[in-house]
Amino acid sequence: MSLEKVTLGHGSGGRLTQDLIQVILSVFPKKNLTSDLEDCALIWEKIGVTIDSFTVSPRDFPGGDIGELAICGSANDLAVRGVKPQFITMSVVAEEGFHIDELTRYMKSASSICQKLGIQLVAGDTKVVPKGHVEGLFITTCAVGERVTPAPLGMNLLQPSDTIIVSTSIGRHGAAIGASRFDLNPEDLKSDCAPLWPALEPLLKIDGLRCMRDCTRGGLGTVMCEWAEGRQLGVTLSEEGIPIRSSVQSVCDILGFDPLYLACEGCAAIGVDPKDADKVLNILRENPLCQEASIIGSVTEEHKGMVALQTKIGGMRVVDMPVGEMLPRIC
Amino acid sequence: MKFINMPNRAMQKSDKKSNPFKASFTAQHVIEAIGQRISKPLTFMEVCGTHTVSIFRSGIRSLLPEELSLVSGPGCPVCVTDQGEIDCAIDILDMPQITVATYGDMLRVPGTKSSLSERKSEGKDVRLVTSAAQALSIAENNPEREVVFLAVGFETTAPATAATVLEAREKNISNFSILSYHKQTPPVLEQLVQDPDLKIDGFILPGHVSVILGHNAYRFIAQKYKIPCAIAGFEPMDILLAIADLVFQHANGQAVLHSLYPRAVRPEGNQKALSMIDRVFTPCSARWRGLGEIPLSGYMLKEEFSSFDTLLRFQITLTSPPPPAGCRCGDVLAGHIRPLECPLFAKRCTPMTPVGPCMVSSEGSCSAYYKYNRGGESPWKKSHLATEVADD
Repeated sequence: MSLEKVTLGHGSGGRLTQDLIQVILSVFPKKNLTSDLEDCALIWEKIGVTIDSFTVSPRDFPGGDIGELAICGSANDLAVRGVKPQFITMSVVAEEGFHIDELTRYMKSASSICQKLGIQLVAGDTKVVPKGHVEGLFITTCAVGERVTPAPLGMNLLQPSDTIIVSTSIGRHGAAIGASRFDLNPEDLKSDCAPLWPALEPLLKIDGLRCMRDCTRGGLGTVMCEWAEGRQLGVTLSEEGIPIRSSVQSVCDILGFDPLYLACEGCAAIGVDPKDADKVLNILRENPLCQEASIIGSVTEEHKGMVALQTKIGGMRVVDMPVGEMLPRIC
Repeated sequence: MKFINMPNRAMQKSDKKSNPFKASFTAQHVIEAIGQRISKPLTFMEVCGTHTVSIFRSGIRSLLPEELSLVSGPGCPVCVTDQGEIDCAIDILDMPQITVATYGDMLRVPGTKSSLSERKSEGKDVRLVTSAAQALSIAENNPEREVVFLAVGFETTAPATAATVLEAREKNISNFSILSYHKQTPPVLEQLVQDPDLKIDGFILPGHVSVILGHNAYRFIAQKYKIPCAIAGFEPMDILLAIADLVFQHANGQAVLHSLYPRAVRPEGNQKALSMIDRVFTPCSARWRGLGEIPLSGYMLKEEFSSFDTLLRFQITLTSPPPPAGCRCGDVLAGHIRPLECPLFAKRCTPMTPVGPCMVSSEGSCSAYYKYNRGGESPWKKSHLATEVADD
């Protein structure tokens, strides 16, 4: 692996992020690692635990802020493995000169999500660094909870012919952030930043539920690649079936982004036995956040390890993991 | 070609608005019509990098008849920026108190020894902007620094650069200058059509550039060189219709310029933008990566704006170093080879370890070939692509 320096591309999900993770994991003896590269680890098969750091620019974005994001991000990582988020620890790294009022506002946002989900803040840490050492504020959260499902969910359960569903339209968080950064203001564009547990908990009783994944950095496209490569099975998606709001598509058209790779912060990809697909869809749509839930594709034994997209005009193409940062096109 | 059966009801709740340019039922008819009218092998060049990406992203290649080949042209502003121009920007960046501001993918393009992105990771002040005006704002907000705007792009971005130079003069901002690497589209097309080794049967002309230039700037391709041309938008249907138009022109023995993008392109172009270019720039000889120096294909600042010319301000002369060993980006840009024919493609040159700019740019043809065919592994390529792999 030729990785001499960390670049911003290593932080954007996708292939370079995987390379960076491998660099880090390679120095740990295998006996010290779980083989579980899912959204959260299951300790003793029963306790779910995850950790995530949050840095976002702007910190206030349409549809949320960094405080809300810091709780939703970690809580959702548990929720997609059938783990009820119960406890959270938080580390705050603030830059010298950061306004206490602003910090308080983000903590209030974080607290409101905790209250909504019944999560207790059980430990924390604060650090202040000299001006210029971080950009404003970094928040790290570690969420812990107990698995609710009888057996662990995971991509290792995916079978050929399984149906793939998304819980809502994709790319809203990435598009909202991109629009803010590049001074675009499409109407009705807000981040999907939201806790997934209330929408996903009712699914956990369904026998055919195989696995779920929080489509954050790297977006839906990266999750699908991870499933295809991780299981050495094919995934075929229908572009027509993937819900994308027109406001998200507009931002993508202007900046040259592919919505498949835009981050989501309240959207789960779900693999399910086809016999239970309708059941999953109907339950999801009972939740106001999942009105756009859709069947988007299926698992196949063909083109193993690859993701195919049947395009709206009937063509076929590969969906590969993104490499590096998504940068706006020039003309 | 039906691969999966998706329940249509899955779409009931989605936020889809009717857009005829994304419609699939029409696409099937157009593809059928192309198949019926094509009577000999034809090769069309999509000049613009945004077209290249749209073609791959929509899977158009997997639908076209085998007799029809598409090659990418020199329409990606990142790809055509000469290595010496990148080196020059990096040399300036290494001077004290300098900030270099530029557009997206320019950051990762390798120069001879480094890239702007690498220098940024070492602590140099490189800023990503989406407009020349943002670069000027950086200069206004940082009067202690010299802000250099690395101005790339074709007729689409040059008017905004020109407007920014006028604004900088009006505001009397003295710590702002531009490295004008802007390039003109018609001269490079003229060089391509004069190349005896290049066999292009039609041009899909760039929509955005045409919005500025209008129709007349390209008429010479059809009139003088008898090659059919179609100006196209960027939706899959736009591109399919342009391909169909070029096939039909061949079937009818025609060679004319058609605009299939009238909703955006006016025959006379954008006069305001053109006059802005004319006000600030004068045509000059320009270096194109891999294509060499092309007379009157660039834009340099007029003498009255010379105080905003970075090269004059820092008394720097552009050099033209040789490309990296084995890199055939120049041949790709000229349409002589497809990316898969480059010996470095998907071997030494990948998006993770790019050797040339065509693999760096999100609109580069090598990047598109790699990304949408997974480095040549795609099982959905037509046989003409498969042949290229075998020949590699």
